[in-house]
Amino acid sequence: MITGNGITKTFRQRGNVLAGRDVQALRGVDFAIAKGGAASFIGESGCGKTTLGRIIAGLETYDAGEISIGGTPMSGLKPKQRQPHFRKIQMIHQDPYSALNPTRTVHQTLQAPLALRAKQTGRSRQWMDERAAEVLALVGLDPGTVLSRYPHQLSGGMRQRVVIARALTVDPEMLVADEAVSMIDVSLRLGILALLKDLRERLGVSVLFITHDVATARYIGDDGELYVIYRGQVVERGPVDTVIADPVHPYTQSLLSAIPVLHGLELPGEQPVVPLESLDESQPDTGCLFARRCPFRTERCEGERPVLGRTECVPQEHACFHPERRSVVARPMSEV
Amino acid sequence: MPHPASSQAPGVRIDGLTVVYKTPAGELPAVRDVSLTLEPGTITGIVGESGSGKSTLALSLLNAVQPPGRIAAGSVEIDGLGDVVGLSGERLRKARGAHIGYVFQAAQNSLNPLKTVGKQLLDLGRSHGVDDLRGLVREARELLGRMGLDGARVLDSHQHELSGGMRQRVGIMLALVLNAHVVVLDEPTTALDMITQANILKIVREVHAERGLTTLVITHDIGVVAEVADRLAVMYGGRLVEQGPTREVLGAPRHPYTRGLIQAIPRLVGDIDEARALPGRPPTLATVPTAGCVFRERCALRMDVCETDDPAAVAHGTRIVACHAVKVREHA
Repeated sequence: MITGNGITKTFRQRGNVLAGRDVQALRGVDFAIAKGGAASFIGESGCGKTTLGRIIAGLETYDAGEISIGGTPMSGLKPKQRQPHFRKIQMIHQDPYSALNPTRTVHQTLQAPLALRAKQTGRSRQWMDERAAEVLALVGLDPGTVLSRYPHQLSGGMRQRVVIARALTVDPEMLVADEAVSMIDVSLRLGILALLKDLRERLGVSVLFITHDVATARYIGDDGELYVIYRGQVVERGPVDTVIADPVHPYTQSLLSAIPVLHGLELPGEQPVVPLESLDESQPDTGCLFARRCPFRTERCEGERPVLGRTECVPQEHACFHPERRSVVARPMSEV
Repeated sequence: MPHPASSQAPGVRIDGLTVVYKTPAGELPAVRDVSLTLEPGTITGIVGESGSGKSTLALSLLNAVQPPGRIAAGSVEIDGLGDVVGLSGERLRKARGAHIGYVFQAAQNSLNPLKTVGKQLLDLGRSHGVDDLRGLVREARELLGRMGLDGARVLDSHQHELSGGMRQRVGIMLALVLNAHVVVLDEPTTALDMITQANILKIVREVHAERGLTTLVITHDIGVVAEVADRLAVMYGGRLVEQGPTREVLGAPRHPYTRGLIQAIPRLVGDIDEARALPGRPPTLATVPTAGCVFRERCALRMDVCETDDPAAVAHGTRIVACHAVKVREHA
């Protein structure tokens, strides 16, 4: 179980032409990911989803709030003491081309973390070789053919599998996949998504999926939670299929309305939501962060900021004064 | 969809185009015997994975394939210009920009980081011998305004002051400002956010209709083509495997690759187990088979004839499909 409470992060820009402008990347975010569970963070670039993922993986500091891993709060611990906790959380990056050292074979890539592991637990070289073959088999690669290869001899999909295998060498409890399929060829994407789902089911690894592509977020499992993040605030949160089928926050609705419709296979949603203007972070926000772009804003939205919570008749949490269901998602023609 | 200004839109006929790249293993074809007609006033979308040859095909429209690549065979006829493959030197340079506009990928940083957009616009005007530079700036400002930007401000900006979506619109402006009527957009929305992407696609559709263009969109994302294109062409391993009206191809794909590709798209609704990845992986220049069907390694309908004979592109009504299995079923 990994939980976060009120995570806040502000990036201060110093020493350049933009000096003095602070960027509030996260404004008090709460999350909870159960052991073996799944969650997806979605939002546009710059919304803070990647920063949050990096904080969860221990790669970034945060200004305020608390992260607990397995019930242990991290803030009271010294960096050395935190290390074994954060090692349980492994990151899978977007670009499998730069995530692997081009001068190392797959065998060498996997041996480095395994050697550390073997030293800690007093295991033999033979165990390292067995374990390397085991993790490759887990990600659907044939150890015999892949171990001696260099990254440039593998396709994008195979490379991403090697990256995942490397993460598995340390027996992680959670994988943080940041846009892990966006650079993979379309015909192979589902294979990687299915692998992440499969690892959840077989090994009980929880998966945190960070993406701007809402549709891929469904494929980590239907018990997953979806967090819609806008400018550092979670604006809607709930079970993946509930939020996609019945979104209530106008921002979620805008995101879903913007997804291309496969004409010929699908019919567009009946009430698409188009934001009024483009994102402009230079102006101060007194009320709801989305108010200036929101077609349904009222006076209240401009003066007061809604907080994430539940209201009657809406199964998911949301941060909107005027939650209303709208049919925005394209429907398959076969169902009409 | 009506095209009111299509009377001035030129047609483009690509015929038997083959583009080869020189490698240590000899000359290998990145595009092989591709024939495609862009009807005047239509938007055609080419979909393909990495290494399918779609970008090479797009560059051939400008006769801009760089060495070690070269156009080995075929022609690209554009109304009012002739065969682009036969053009060279000054005539070719003038044709690019004046007849054919090319919008590069926003992420590729096709703008000069040291010059304002306005200066680059003037450079473009001078290199094409435009006398009325003031008129050119006016036209650029109008185009930018049409796309929802503050024209004067954008022309005064350097590229780092513009967001990805704004840069993409600047790219479209630069491609159209010399009054080109054939426009090629290479991955117009890759690396853009969903909402920005929807915006750009809307602009592409509107500008296309208003100015009477013949547009070619190159992308790896079927969703993009589904949104904007009248016709869809699917490329695989340097071959055009299927083409036809977008809705028909999406609704009833014929070629096994098209079918697999559509089935592999993660969808927002419906049963998630219905979506399936294609087995195997796309071929590269070095691994693409020299004889037989390029898709057979990943194909569920593979037959003996696929090993030896490259299927010809055969027209079935409005659809053109290059597959032995489809032919068999048609005749059975």
